[in-house]
Amino acid sequence: MALVSPATSSEDLERWGSAASWSSGAELTPMQTLLWRAERHPVQSSTTTVVIDLDRAPDWQRFVAATEWGTRLVRRLRQRVVDPVVPTASPTWADDPTFDLAYHLRRERVGGRDEVLAEAAQVALRPFDRSRPLWEGVLLEGADGGAAYVLKIHHALADPLGTVQLLSMLQSGRRAHTPRKPLGDEDAAPAEVDPVDLAVAGLRGDAAALAGSARSAARSLLSTRPSTVVASGLRYGASVRRLLTQAAPPSPELAPRTGRSWAFLTLDAPLDPLRSAARRGGGTLDDVAVALVLGGLRRHHERRGSDVTEVPVGVRVSLSRADDLGNRFAGAVISGPMAIEDPVDRVAAVRGEVLSLHTERALEVLDAAAPLLNRMPSFVGASALQAAAPPDAFVLTLPGPPKRRFMAGAQVQGMYVLGPLPGSALTAVLTTVGDTACIGVNVDASAVGDLAALRSCLDEAVDEMVAAGR
Amino acid sequence: MSGLSTAAREAVEAIEAGPQGPEVGAFFDLDGTLVAGYTAATFYGDRLKGREVSPAEFLRTVVTAVDGELGGDPTRIARVAFSAMRGESEEAFADLGERLFRAKIAGTIRRESRALVAAHQRAGHTVAVASAATTYQIAPVARDLGVEHLVCTRLVVEDGQFTGETDGPMLWGRHKASGVRAFAREHGVDLAESYAYGNGYEDVAFLSSVGNPTALNPHRDLRAAAARLGWPVLDLADPVSGSLLAAGRTVAALAGMNAGVGAGLAYGLLRGDRGEGRTTAVKLATHLPMAIAGVSMEVLHQERLWTHRPAIFVANHQSSLDIPVLGRLLERDFTIVAKKEARWDPRAIVGSVVIDPAWIDRSDSASARATLDGVVDRIRGGTSLMIFPEGTRSATPVLGPFRKGAFHLAAQAGVPVVPVVLRNTGELMGRSSLVLNPGVVDVCVLEPETDWSTDDMDDRIAALRQKFQDTLARWPS
Repeated sequence: MALVSPATSSEDLERWGSAASWSSGAELTPMQTLLWRAERHPVQSSTTTVVIDLDRAPDWQRFVAATEWGTRLVRRLRQRVVDPVVPTASPTWADDPTFDLAYHLRRERVGGRDEVLAEAAQVALRPFDRSRPLWEGVLLEGADGGAAYVLKIHHALADPLGTVQLLSMLQSGRRAHTPRKPLGDEDAAPAEVDPVDLAVAGLRGDAAALAGSARSAARSLLSTRPSTVVASGLRYGASVRRLLTQAAPPSPELAPRTGRSWAFLTLDAPLDPLRSAARRGGGTLDDVAVALVLGGLRRHHERRGSDVTEVPVGVRVSLSRADDLGNRFAGAVISGPMAIEDPVDRVAAVRGEVLSLHTERALEVLDAAAPLLNRMPSFVGASALQAAAPPDAFVLTLPGPPKRRFMAGAQVQGMYVLGPLPGSALTAVLTTVGDTACIGVNVDASAVGDLAALRSCLDEAVDEMVAAGR
Repeated sequence: MSGLSTAAREAVEAIEAGPQGPEVGAFFDLDGTLVAGYTAATFYGDRLKGREVSPAEFLRTVVTAVDGELGGDPTRIARVAFSAMRGESEEAFADLGERLFRAKIAGTIRRESRALVAAHQRAGHTVAVASAATTYQIAPVARDLGVEHLVCTRLVVEDGQFTGETDGPMLWGRHKASGVRAFAREHGVDLAESYAYGNGYEDVAFLSSVGNPTALNPHRDLRAAAARLGWPVLDLADPVSGSLLAAGRTVAALAGMNAGVGAGLAYGLLRGDRGEGRTTAVKLATHLPMAIAGVSMEVLHQERLWTHRPAIFVANHQSSLDIPVLGRLLERDFTIVAKKEARWDPRAIVGSVVIDPAWIDRSDSASARATLDGVVDRIRGGTSLMIFPEGTRSATPVLGPFRKGAFHLAAQAGVPVVPVVLRNTGELMGRSSLVLNPGVVDVCVLEPETDWSTDDMDDRIAALRQKFQDTLARWPS
């Protein structure tokens, strides 16, 4: 199809080059390990599902070839997780010698948009085979000529941010085929990993590390005054307690939550007015996303005659400078000011709540606790994740590709990230794609009886926020 | 603006360089920001002293406070306090607020916070105190600072009595932030251009609602957050409080004063010159105690103290320290007008021996006038007069109204008025304190004013008072 023999765009080459080196560590990070070991499907399954709207159905052969290339470029997509027989070490990535693209990628025919989302929810709810590479893609070809690609990725492979990064790295800047694409380093493949060896090596390492850490702990204890240790311990404890207990109680209008039946909604909004609403409220796009979801929930509660004014909302807090999209984040729960009618005022209130978290010394508690919890039987880790009552909603913002991109010759119209539902009634993710905000909402269908009504509440909230920014 | 730390001076300069006008807001937290310490603790301490707290209530308060520190609901302690106030009279509580302000809280207002407030006021900004405290704690402080707006927790009053409830939420944390946003909407304040000052970890939401937040003497957790958020941190000096060392020095200083007087008079007797003896006594009695207490002076336009004698010297009055300071400035050939009640004040006895004050009996106006006639003669005879036109010491550096007596005397005796502006004396020695703290006293002698007459006296007094105020607001350097 390459009529104009195109010199490969340098921008694409650069992105693909970074994709090749993406996520190259051999071991799972402590947080990934915690999630991996704590997984209970589907309530604590950690999958990210992305629905990508395409302007036309791509050529299937070309699509398969492109995916094949992508898995060669990003080795992680052909690797599986190997767990040690006893949890003395972190699980490790190893090449899957039996990798079969046909197992991970397939296509189906659907009737329309609703069916796309219903099918995507079904894909998301099916458990992974944990002995294979942790991703699954389905190309849904519509009756109207359009198509959607549904990609499911396990959290151990990539969190929602990583998933969107990976996708925008692999997509192309042009519709035409790029004949000579770079490939990953073949030699980088790790050797076969044996679960028993892994456990033994972990034990040996622990024994050595333990003596050292005991020595340094004793030294630091002896060199500090006991009253200082106690005071700082108490302050840390107070901070943990505030983080775990001081958000609003869950709303009875968003219950009961089983987490067993998911329903997907997608919404669009122009980015510019959202950004200016953020400016007017003195906040960021993150704050706007939270305020927007709260605006939808406000209507939802109003229609049901509820007098709840605050709901707990899970947000992501940057641990570096607050205004930057830093690369260290902590999850935390705020009391979402739902009752504020004025959308800009709501943005400002959310901003204040999120920034207030920066006074909490225990903000990084989950990160700090993960290495320890992993050495215990997995249910301990699972209950640690549940120590804080799950919020009613999780809201997350992700930076997607700054320009419209292509997948095997089809233009990407929108990318909607549907996150997991770890005990919440809904998880909303706002992804920026070009000049559009693509909002994917995963709803616990047992907590929200009338999905269509919630949808219209959220639609009104989008309109309201866009109007506030114009 | 000498006398301010570099950081405070820079903050003031930034305000001066920034946007001006009422659409810019400046919001000050009260406890720990405008004043050092907690006003609520002062109120509670008063209740404890008055034995108005039952052991059960005391225990409940302590437990709630500790729980708040350990991560529990930190606003519960205030709710416990509010409910304990149920049935109390609002008027009595407001009076208590005034009394505690004069006795305790006035002395805890940070001088540099005062300078910040004044800088915002000069810029024409809409200045407000934003605090979770109640009106009764804030109003006297706000009045003293000339701040008209309060954004604060309101208590419900029925038939003049507290119900123990609050009107709306307690303005703590997020509620203070929304209180400030609501205030801004109502008063047409542009928050993006506005300033806010707070010190507690609960102030983040409040601070983040403006474009120019400052963590002022922040607590540990706010300091950490400010560093992370890139907010400026401003550490201001706390008002000096009397230490044991300072108390000891004060005793020594008093002894030194008396010894100075004795030695001076003895010297005069030996030389056979009483005038010389008096002058030496004044010199010793003022220099010795101040040297012992570690107080030094920085005087601007010292020459004006000598160009127009005899004259009426007028100064602002904050502290018992003002008298030795002025004694040291004027050195010789001066006296004071004092109320008769002060005659037997142990601190005044030595002074009265040396400078022979004109004692006025305020309760008997005929005798007062006779004394003053005598004073006019003494002035004409070459003795200058030292008068505090405010009459009494003020609780804070804020200038009180000027009485006319001094200026009538100037008109009658046909001598000039020499204005002397004092700064910091109230900080080194509190209004009703007997303890003198070490430090530097700033003095500025203004241009002497001549040709006083009764015709335009009111206007000239008002203009002179304004000069005092301007000098205190912008200290010349």
